[in-house]
Amino acid sequence: MDTYDADGVTLERVEEYVWEIPQEGEMNAPARVLASEELLDQIADDKTLQQLKNSTQLPGVQKYAICMPDGHQGYGFPVGGVAGIDAEDGCISPGAVGFDINCGVRMMTTNLTYEDVQGHEEELVESLFANIPSGLGGGGVVESGVETVEEILDRGVEWALDEGYAVEDDLAHCEDEGRRPDADPDAVSQKSKDRGKNQIGSLGSGNHFLEVQRVTDVFREGVADSYGLSEDQIVVLIHCGSRGLGHQVCTEYTREVEQAHPELLEQLPDKELAAAPAGSQLAEEYYGAMCAAINYAWVNRQLIMHRTRKVFERVFDRSWEEMEMDLLYDVAHNIAKKEAHEVDGEERELYVHRKGATRAFPAGREEVPSAYRDVGQPVIIPGSMGAGSYVLRGGESSMETTFGSTAHGAGRTMSRTQAKDEFWGEDIQDDLREQKVYVKAQSGATVAEEAPGVYKDVDEVVRVSDELGIGDTVARTFPVCNIKG
Amino acid sequence: MSFELREHTADVAVAADGKTVDEAFGAVADGLAAAMCEAIPDDGDRFSFAVQAENREALLYEYLADCIYQRDVRGVLPVANRVTVDRADDGWRLDASARGVPLGAVDAREVKAVTYSEMRIEQDSDGWNAYVVFDV
Repeated sequence: MDTYDADGVTLERVEEYVWEIPQEGEMNAPARVLASEELLDQIADDKTLQQLKNSTQLPGVQKYAICMPDGHQGYGFPVGGVAGIDAEDGCISPGAVGFDINCGVRMMTTNLTYEDVQGHEEELVESLFANIPSGLGGGGVVESGVETVEEILDRGVEWALDEGYAVEDDLAHCEDEGRRPDADPDAVSQKSKDRGKNQIGSLGSGNHFLEVQRVTDVFREGVADSYGLSEDQIVVLIHCGSRGLGHQVCTEYTREVEQAHPELLEQLPDKELAAAPAGSQLAEEYYGAMCAAINYAWVNRQLIMHRTRKVFERVFDRSWEEMEMDLLYDVAHNIAKKEAHEVDGEERELYVHRKGATRAFPAGREEVPSAYRDVGQPVIIPGSMGAGSYVLRGGESSMETTFGSTAHGAGRTMSRTQAKDEFWGEDIQDDLREQKVYVKAQSGATVAEEAPGVYKDVDEVVRVSDELGIGDTVARTFPVCNIKG
Repeated sequence: MSFELREHTADVAVAADGKTVDEAFGAVADGLAAAMCEAIPDDGDRFSFAVQAENREALLYEYLADCIYQRDVRGVLPVANRVTVDRADDGWRLDASARGVPLGAVDAREVKAVTYSEMRIEQDSDGWNAYVVFDV
């Protein structure tokens, strides 16, 4: 098939798994979808393609706007969207980063095997659920004043290190070593800080979760060795973001940008794409506030990891150091970052917007922590409760094909309203228990909304990423215990 | 006034109507509460807040964003929402009140934010309709 017609949008096949919407009309660049035909059928089933096309109207989009294999309809920019936008002549769009700034994933390895955990699952899931704040109004590991929030916004995981919630090694294995130097806490409003005060170290709800997993498959032995992964090993995956603080930052800056730059907004087909021109005061302020929210999110995941270590200590009656509970890596999948990329043979500074997409830098890039520089950056792809998750490494083709990015998860196919009609939380929990997966949630409705059946086939998403060389499969994991809001 | 939760791949949408703008806006906020919680108890005290904006769409965005803000800082789910919209010197003003059900008393999930995506506010012969997508 050389073209694909989807409800008013025609895509041309450029090569296997690469489809292009040619530049036309108001578009400033073409758009590309990276998908197999099976995934493209799902992507074309909602407004994803129109939203992707709309995003090319942002000024300064370089090469093409891209939809990852797990893409689906979002608000403004689709989820799974990547856009490299010129940081001198282009713009930055809060809505194209998303409300949950630095929503992301971290994985912690252990030296426990599945056998060590069997028989303790019930105790483990109950204890994790009791000790890790989740849901709406569930508080945080730390509840503090605004001064503490400001320190976290400024210093990220360095704050956690000073307060005893982290060790040096945790910083070395986090993107940017757990601190965005461009953070500007003064650009974060009082209202945002007020929302952030009592949520530091909390999962929230929706698709966020903490999962104890076992490694079921290793695909690239050498890389897995470098990541400290082996078959049957127990690992912990934590998926959450910057909580109400980040949501408020995006909410407010979307409005400020709308009011300050109406001329730019008039060129855009969707108000949710509202953008501040590069070089404007508001672009700088938003970037500083977003970077501060990134720091908050890293601390959020760090505190949850710290609490998880404590829970494991109690359940297994050993110190976390003895269980070698070390951070493998922490990646953001809702973010905009100033990065240098080659465009038309020249190096340019871009605001790379990744909304539901993960940075996937290959071996050799200086941004990759030294521990992984020879093999490539770890990429963590959380899957559904019934399908498991993947660890990839940044692929050799990612810089050329996707501004150094790949997918971020399985990607939804079914709405939350339909999911609640089709599934019962308790039935899902019973089905999963038969597969030896222990699930505990604040709300049965959340379990129904996040049922394995609402997601795309994560295996296919990861296969396409691997085939394209943007993210290579390293290992696969399957859930043992899952807690959510 | 009434609302319906509508399908959206990842998030949730609310379609609401009312005889007046006041009723339609209040119904969207009730839809927001319903998106977070299926069974709402009768307890909780009423509280008030106000927002301003330069046009109707911005006013609805500011109002719903403030419902979410109030939820987090007060630790309550705003339900039984009442709204009065008036012209102000440089745009519109909205005075709101809600009954705040303590979050500890409900089995509720988080809606992260209001979005402008696909937002519609329209008048027809029966009154006003509004459509809003929320980020979950």
